[in-house]
Amino acid sequence: MGKTILEVRDLKTKYITRFREDVYAVDGVSLKIEEGKSLGIAGESGCGKSTLALSLMGYYFPPLHYISGDIIVDGDNISKMNPDDIRRNILGTEIAYIPQAAMNALNPTQKIIRFIEDVIHVHEPGKTKKEIYEMARARFEELGLPSSVLEKHAVELSGGMKQRTVIAISTILSPKVLIADEPSSALDVTSQKMVIKMLKNLMEKGYIKSMIFITHELPLLYNVTDDIMVMYAGQIVEKGTAKEMVFDPIHPYSKGLMGSIIVPEAGSRDVKLTAIPGTPPNLKKPPAGCRFAERCKYATAECRANLIDSKEFADGRSYRCIYEAEKLREVYGNE
Amino acid sequence: MKGYRKYFGKKIVWFLITFAAAILLNFILPRLMPGDPVAAITAKSAQGISDASAAQEIYNHYAEQFGTNEPMYVQFFTYCKNAAKGDFGLSFSQYPRKVSNIIGSALPWTLALQFPAIIVGWIIGNVLGALAAYIRKGFDKVLMPVTLFFSSLPAFGLAVILMIVFAINLKVAPISGGYGYDLIPQLSWKFVRSVFTHYQLPFWSIVLISIGGQAIGMRSMSIYELNADYVKYSRFLGIKDRKIVGYVFRNAMLPQITGLALSIGTMVGGALVSEVIFSYPGLGSTILQAVSNSDYPLLSATTLIITIMVLLASFIVDIIYGFIDPRVKAAQFD
Repeated sequence: MGKTILEVRDLKTKYITRFREDVYAVDGVSLKIEEGKSLGIAGESGCGKSTLALSLMGYYFPPLHYISGDIIVDGDNISKMNPDDIRRNILGTEIAYIPQAAMNALNPTQKIIRFIEDVIHVHEPGKTKKEIYEMARARFEELGLPSSVLEKHAVELSGGMKQRTVIAISTILSPKVLIADEPSSALDVTSQKMVIKMLKNLMEKGYIKSMIFITHELPLLYNVTDDIMVMYAGQIVEKGTAKEMVFDPIHPYSKGLMGSIIVPEAGSRDVKLTAIPGTPPNLKKPPAGCRFAERCKYATAECRANLIDSKEFADGRSYRCIYEAEKLREVYGNE
Repeated sequence: MKGYRKYFGKKIVWFLITFAAAILLNFILPRLMPGDPVAAITAKSAQGISDASAAQEIYNHYAEQFGTNEPMYVQFFTYCKNAAKGDFGLSFSQYPRKVSNIIGSALPWTLALQFPAIIVGWIIGNVLGALAAYIRKGFDKVLMPVTLFFSSLPAFGLAVILMIVFAINLKVAPISGGYGYDLIPQLSWKFVRSVFTHYQLPFWSIVLISIGGQAIGMRSMSIYELNADYVKYSRFLGIKDRKIVGYVFRNAMLPQITGLALSIGTMVGGALVSEVIFSYPGLGSTILQAVSNSDYPLLSATTLIITIMVLLASFIVDIIYGFIDPRVKAAQFD
């Protein structure tokens, strides 16, 4: 067992809409990442993946609000810290973030190096421009980015280049946890590969100690992360190693997600595509029982009535379903 | 560097083409107005002369002096040749004053009134708009309706309201003119004070209206920029709000610079309403006089000034943008 870098216990956050309604977007999430490990979070649109990413940083601004839970970064509980301290001492240095829309993440009228200067100055005010330039140049080159990028504006870079620049900026202060929210989803396959390689490179070189990778593409997670978590309607429905999750999903929702993957092979055009019917529940009024029950073909009255707790195995694997794992595997096997 | 040269080259070529078209239109359009101003002048000086051939003689004399006996295209080339030397001929309405002389005495009044008013209105408007976007809440709720009210008031409406309230009811400012009727322009305290008090109403009538328009534009640009993704990203990297606000307002300012340049460019035309209402001795009043007397030489010259100023303003904006907005640079320079 390595050292735990990030631990989250029963984190709950909500959005408050303009009509004063509460939307419980992250509802009791717990997770743990050890040094050198990466965790993938998968789920369909609107399941709370991105909200979880924002919530994990401990810095909230409207419409997102903190309710309860603990976020412990390398031994420090940041969920009780004052927001200004988090911004000054945690963001950028302890936890760094790669936004979903990296295309627009950079100020269009600022040169990349000017922005890097601003980022570094917040945390290390004494550094001179020259030192910062040298530091940025060395890091960019090490990550395979030409140093000429530093003197450019965001508009002069291609999509893939912009994304890699954002990654390099986010990790320039060698944060302990990197949260990457769909960093490659908007890119073509070649750029996607470069982004993944870069993230792996950052891990190997030790510039980041752990990583959370959020995506809706399961096959990608299998190639990138050690563990995978599947989220549904603000909760974690299943957690396991990447291999387990892809080849042996237990929860009917995870199973459905894996079934929705299209693998191009002979005859795949003729196979009927399976998708999970229905839509996720409204999180303004989450259902009392299992949140997936409305879309689950195995659901019973009992599923809908009571809250379902997570079942945990000794090896750390867990799932949130009323059925025994063996029973579910048997059912899947017969289909 | 090659990109820059090509960009400027293209801009200059377009500038010249528009300029040529503008000169042509400035020449032709006033001359299409109905009525014969030469006949009007003849009638004035031929008063009491009953001999038809003598009147005809006078008419021919004036026609020759103004060049109206020549065909239109010859007149045009003469006009261009003289205009290049700064000579716009003689005015019909204030015969025998030279057009360049009339403009020379009116232009300083307009510049002195409009230029500070536009700058002051622009600065106050942008600061208020930015604050409204940043503070929101009560400040925004009060400021927005007020600025909307001022920006949607027609210019003459506000000018008349100011005149009624401050000049007629409160009697704190003079009703019209650029200085007291009983004064001769000279550098004396009395004259300067008179100019200053006459200046206030036309000045504020322009400032208030431009504050409204600028504040609304700046507010919505700032709100848009405050919600931009780069703002969130900068926050999540720990950058201080003060710095982020700096990014936001710099970006929100960019479209406002176009607004500033265009209002400077159109200031002569924009001056018309408030100058006419307050009988201010500037170019606006001159234009009105030229129009009502079919004074083509004067009209051509004043509209030419407007055209040149608008063209120059937009040309300068294009050039400045190439430097301050990398998005324009990226789109235009390659």
